Amino acid sequence: MNLQNLSIKGKLLMITMITSSVALVLLAASYLVYDLLSFRHFLSEDLSTQAEIIGYNSAAAMAFKDESAASVTLSALKAKEDVTAAVLYTPDGKIFAKYVRANIVAPSLPADVPQTNGSRFKGSYLEVFRDVSLNGEPLGTLFLQSDMSQWSSRAKSYATFLLMFMLASSFLALLLASRLQTLISRPILRLEDTMRAVSAKKNYEVRALKFYDDEIGRLIDGFNTMLAEIQQQDMALQGANDELQMRTQELEGEITHRKQAQEELLTAKRAAEDASRAKSAFLANMSHELRTPLNAIIGYSEMIEEEIQDSGQINDIQDVQKIEAAGKHLLALINDVLDLSKIEAGKMSLHLETFEVALMIRDMASTLEPAVAKNSNTLELQLPEDLGMMRSDVTKVRQILFNLLSNACKFTDHGTISMSVDRIETREQQWMRFRVADTGIGISDEQQENLFKEFAQADVSIARKYGGTGLGLAISHRFAQLMGGNIVVESEPGKGSVFTLHLPAQANAETTAAAPPKSKSTATTPAPEPKSQSETILVIDDDPAVRDLMTRFLVKLGFGVIAAVDGEEGFKLAKKTRPAIITLDVMMPEMDGWGVLSRLKSDPELASIPVIMVTIVDNEVAAIKLGASSYMVKPVDRDRLAGLVEQYRKGRGPVPEKVAAGPVHTSQGDSKPSMRWDPVSRRN
Amino acid sequence: MPLKILLVEDNEMNRDMLTRRLERRGYQVVVAHDGGQGHDLAHSESPDLILMDMSLPVMNGWEVTRLLKADRQTSHIPIIALTAHALATDRAKAFEAGCDDYDTKPVDFNRLQEKINGLILEKKPS
Repeated sequence: MNLQNLSIKGKLLMITMITSSVALVLLAASYLVYDLLSFRHFLSEDLSTQAEIIGYNSAAAMAFKDESAASVTLSALKAKEDVTAAVLYTPDGKIFAKYVRANIVAPSLPADVPQTNGSRFKGSYLEVFRDVSLNGEPLGTLFLQSDMSQWSSRAKSYATFLLMFMLASSFLALLLASRLQTLISRPILRLEDTMRAVSAKKNYEVRALKFYDDEIGRLIDGFNTMLAEIQQQDMALQGANDELQMRTQELEGEITHRKQAQEELLTAKRAAEDASRAKSAFLANMSHELRTPLNAIIGYSEMIEEEIQDSGQINDIQDVQKIEAAGKHLLALINDVLDLSKIEAGKMSLHLETFEVALMIRDMASTLEPAVAKNSNTLELQLPEDLGMMRSDVTKVRQILFNLLSNACKFTDHGTISMSVDRIETREQQWMRFRVADTGIGISDEQQENLFKEFAQADVSIARKYGGTGLGLAISHRFAQLMGGNIVVESEPGKGSVFTLHLPAQANAETTAAAPPKSKSTATTPAPEPKSQSETILVIDDDPAVRDLMTRFLVKLGFGVIAAVDGEEGFKLAKKTRPAIITLDVMMPEMDGWGVLSRLKSDPELASIPVIMVTIVDNEVAAIKLGASSYMVKPVDRDRLAGLVEQYRKGRGPVPEKVAAGPVHTSQGDSKPSMRWDPVSRRN
Repeated sequence: MPLKILLVEDNEMNRDMLTRRLERRGYQVVVAHDGGQGHDLAHSESPDLILMDMSLPVMNGWEVTRLLKADRQTSHIPIIALTAHALATDRAKAFEAGCDDYDTKPVDFNRLQEKINGLILEKKPS
């Protein structure tokens, strides 16, 4: 057992015992040595005194050479147990008389006799020499020998006593030490207990008991201070924890609250959406209910007009024309309301096509002739010769311009209405600018603010005088925005108005983000990048019937269509126009569909365009491998084609494999109720 | 021989008016009052073209169109949907059902006639 790892109690006891034992042993040993030395000295003195006495008593016997008397004197030494031998020597060294203790057989007598008095220790014997003289005359020498048995018995008893004493005192010391060590060990042990309790139970409220004001006491003080600090920190931590928990609960409450609010909002949103849907449904129904009788009114009036014209009764025709005009006016109003509700419901979509601007304007101008003539106005058209084509929703463009021009006619009397169109360019793109100016009653600043708001005519009296729903400009404004443009007005009451419509020359399917020019812009920048033809489909087929049918069908779906008669032309057109989708026939002279497909797919600019293979040869695995997006077997299933192009138009075409796995075009005997479109049988 | 048009329309006035106007322009008109009758007449009369109202009793116009287009005997007959529903979804719905063209009521008669002639010519090239 390692002493260093003894308990404090054990160490204290050990220290005490070792220290006291060493002190005792040293003390006892020195005492013993001292005592034995002084006893030896005493023995030597005692033997010398004996020798003097015996020498004196035997002096007479030696003087008279009386040996027997001398022997008697020497034999008196019997009383002295430790004297082993006594010898009287004559001056010449001869033994005169001798005494040897009875139990000693051969005493060791000195070989020579020293002439001086003295004592010596020889072996375990003490020897004394003494001159014997009478009246100053030397007679011989006395020799006494002692075996020091007294000394050794004394030494033995002395040692025994000391040993007993040491044992007793050690025991006493042990008793005392084991009592007294608690002075030191008890506080330490208690401190240890306290520490263990603190660390086991994490209870920082307990305190170590302080016994004495010593170093351990100070240690305990320090420990308690530390505990107090920990307790304080623990409490602070606990407090922070509690607060955190409280905050968490608060937050949870808040979240629950928010969620509830969100749900309420959602419910409200759904309710609003339901309401909106209900409104749309109602409008659609109303529109239906109103259109059905209107259909009869307008239809019958037109028919009667025709019959009157045939019969030659021209006088009655005006009344019928009034009925027809009223019916058409009513229809226009219904259309306006329906348009607006569609715009509000976000259901108004654009049908983009490319058209010649000047042609559309002239066409419209001829339609408007009666309206222009009504208030004795004149219409001036200013159309530059290089106006060119524009891509937009022609119906909506026409509707906007028609509205602006009708308004101009309505609010101008004996004046001039001028319509000018030009092409302007900004940094982002090309714009078409349509300006409709009149010399009519004009619009005040105040009235201009509400001009494009629904159901807000400039003045209530205007409605009475001029008629109209007040929806026309609102719809025109929304249409313009839908196509990525805007309408601005400049006017002065009494002097006339100028309405300017800006539209992108190349409208996008999605509303253009670029801001339309606000004022007359003459900035000319290089022609912008051609807009992506997201609504154009390139049809590559050598069969004119198929080209024609595909074109008609796709145009009906609202696409712009470009057709190519062979692979070479198809590839060139693809490169030039970057269509959104390509439909590709396989069986073609010169370069066949596979060749075109691999050329398209190896051109990085064209590789991303979805290609729909249209063929009578069923080899769709090859088609998909070569990179075709979809594969259709003639006769083309119109539903499927419509579905595919709609998907690609939205930019989320199906994964080719999935399309290929579709059962739609597996066989002619397909029971799916859809129209087969077979150009071969069509030509019969 | 005049072209034969099957007019499927439940509204009496519209039926009468359209019939008379079509006949004035020289077409032969067969009328059906509901979808079921329209479906039957499409088979028995083999018209050159069908003008189909969509909101019909018995069977609506979309269903009739689907049935006719799925049937080999009638699938070649062009169908023009006539509807008073002017929403874009109606148009899509009509094409989805298999209609070849679409027009809204009240019909612009001249426009309708152009569509009729276009479709008949397309199906029967001279």
